[in-house]
Amino acid sequence: MRNRCLTAGAKSDRKNLTHGKMALFMDTRLILRKVTDLRCLTPRRYRVKEKWAATHAKHPPTRLALHHFDATYSVQLGKLWPSVRVAMLSERKYGALLNNFCHDAVLVDLQAKGCRDFITNREEDAKPSLEQNSEAEAQEECTDVSLKKSDVDGQEINLSPNIKCLVFPRGDVTRFKPAKPDAYGLLSYYLMDAASVLPCLALDVQEGHNVLDLCAAPGGKTLSLLQSQAIRFLCVNDTSVSRTMRLRKVLHSYVPKQFLTDEKLRITSFDGTKWGDIERNTFDRVLVDVPCTTDRHSLMEDDNNIFNKIRVGERRRLPQLQLELLLAGIEAACPGGEILYSTCTLSQNQNQGVVEQAICLARENHGIQLEAVSLRPLTQMFRNTFHFAPDLHLGEMVIPHLAANFGPIYMCKLKRLT
Amino acid sequence: MCTRVAVRQILRWGVRNATSSVFIPLQFERCYLQSLSRLLCSSAHQSTLRPNHEASPVTTKPVPELSLSSLIDMGFTDTQAEQIFESVSSVRGGSAAKHILSTLTVLFVLGLNPSSVQKLLEKCPELYTVKEAQLQQRISNLRKLGLVEGSLQRMVAHYPKILTVPVKTVKNVVTFLKERCLFTSQQASDILRDSPAVVLENLDQLEYKFQYVYFRMGVKQTEMVKFRLFRFPLDEVRCRHIFLERRGFYQTPDKKGQTTIVNPKLDSILNTDLDTFLTHVAQATAEEYDVFQKLLAREWKEEELQQGKIEADDDDEDDDDDDDNDNEQTGGKRGYEKRRKK
Repeated sequence: MRNRCLTAGAKSDRKNLTHGKMALFMDTRLILRKVTDLRCLTPRRYRVKEKWAATHAKHPPTRLALHHFDATYSVQLGKLWPSVRVAMLSERKYGALLNNFCHDAVLVDLQAKGCRDFITNREEDAKPSLEQNSEAEAQEECTDVSLKKSDVDGQEINLSPNIKCLVFPRGDVTRFKPAKPDAYGLLSYYLMDAASVLPCLALDVQEGHNVLDLCAAPGGKTLSLLQSQAIRFLCVNDTSVSRTMRLRKVLHSYVPKQFLTDEKLRITSFDGTKWGDIERNTFDRVLVDVPCTTDRHSLMEDDNNIFNKIRVGERRRLPQLQLELLLAGIEAACPGGEILYSTCTLSQNQNQGVVEQAICLARENHGIQLEAVSLRPLTQMFRNTFHFAPDLHLGEMVIPHLAANFGPIYMCKLKRLT
Repeated sequence: MCTRVAVRQILRWGVRNATSSVFIPLQFERCYLQSLSRLLCSSAHQSTLRPNHEASPVTTKPVPELSLSSLIDMGFTDTQAEQIFESVSSVRGGSAAKHILSTLTVLFVLGLNPSSVQKLLEKCPELYTVKEAQLQQRISNLRKLGLVEGSLQRMVAHYPKILTVPVKTVKNVVTFLKERCLFTSQQASDILRDSPAVVLENLDQLEYKFQYVYFRMGVKQTEMVKFRLFRFPLDEVRCRHIFLERRGFYQTPDKKGQTTIVNPKLDSILNTDLDTFLTHVAQATAEEYDVFQKLLAREWKEEELQQGKIEADDDDEDDDDDDDNDNEQTGGKRGYEKRRKK
């Protein structure tokens, strides 16, 4: 039944499309009569894809993904894997990135519902470390351990004060309602995985910096960067044209036009791996949020799933692509600049493996010396909001947990010494 | 009629004379009563009538007055008698008072002692409104279904509500268990004995629960009966199962009945308190399980809404009905496989 209806629709599609087009040239009154169903005006590639088959695939991509993860992550995460597995198979938790450009004061309303801005509300986190500091001073027991601890805590990372992201408390599964536009048509907050804000915070954009976002779509991290309101010039790029268009829409829904002028922002759809040739030694900060196996999406959605049998080759080439993108980002950064590599997968191959190789190749092929900057202060700061994987020798990783169902997010910060 | 009076008299004598235990051994009592009553009726018919001359007008009158003394005569203690008297009076109308004594008699004939009877009535005041004949019918039906002496009394004592359920309902449930769920007669009576609340469950819900455990969890009838599956509400079974499944500790067996891991037994999933379950079987924290329950409840609510929408759409198309009937067996199974990815 369903099949028949769909195919019938497809055949008359072309006819409807031309009718619609013709209608546009005619009188307005006639347009209103002819264009009854907007589906005929929507190009087929933008319509929601639905399975046309009457039965389910025997081995859907989600199941293949799960088998793959069971094999790899049970070894990699050990006893933590069951908790991560159940969290990834359950509904994820969102955070609301506040839009500083919007005039509606939603902060108070949301806080009334029980949310808090996890970035500024770190009193619970700060208190234990403060106590340790005062204890160390008062008692004057200068053991190495306490000194080291106070050192780390003393190194308060500069966090942009303007980036705010609200989340519901630990264990609270309330959902956010969709944001409403204000008088100027700008939305008050952007719903995204709260852990995705961390790479933007870690990037530590300072006043007057030139920033490059190499794989920007769909735009959550770009938006977070713009919230800092410290960027002199932002370059936003994504290989895919359609995704870049989506990114544009997001930016237009949240940022007023005056901040999207050519002097402040440039959106491109170039191949990110070629950036070393385009703009070398230019940017103060580079964000490389590479395409990956998107673990959570791969477990839950069959559509557009990289574990589909058709895409095996693409998936196998991912680490290579990620390496090339990171190298391009490194080349694009200026000496003394910082590059932040992030993915949304737990796989070591795509995370530490890629970064290590990049550091090596940058030194050998381009003579660029890189230093990995520790993100430990950041993880310390947010340890009450997120679950971080313990004992990662390079970079930090947010792992999903039912009570704090954010992530997975891997991030690693590199500083160009030469 | 005279049998009844005689029985009552005998009970009174027996109860008064027995000093230590008030519980009359049932088999002995039944034969004893039956033989006695036959004796009394056959021999000296007139002689029995005369002493009971006073009693017979009482029996012809439908309302032997319920009084504390009559209750105490039956063997209740003063406090028990008072409580019964009060609750009878509070039950709507005078209907309870009319047949309360006969109801109590039936319960005594069943072999329960007065304190058990009183607790029973406290647990289930609806029993006061059940007529004696119905009660007898229901008890004999339960006997026919395979509940032997001893277990029958225990079941009634624990779950007196079963006597308020009509015979037809009980028969329907048992037929359902045997024909739709393919339990043997013995298994069906075991289920009835262990989980009598099953008679009050909606048959659709019961079927869903059975199919869920059979297809999705791959548990066969023997284990279901052995581990008293029907004592547990569907939500609890589902929640614990899906928690284990998503953690990777439970797999639905494939069509050959094989899994790549060893599934925990139904026993360790259901018949354990939450702490043991979390520590040993699921290896999780209580916080995780708590959040998981909330998320799952929401998921199911949304799925039910979705199902409601899909069914509303299907109703418009006639062809779909045929498909449903053909795929009845596999349809149920595939429905569960479809639900959530493992």
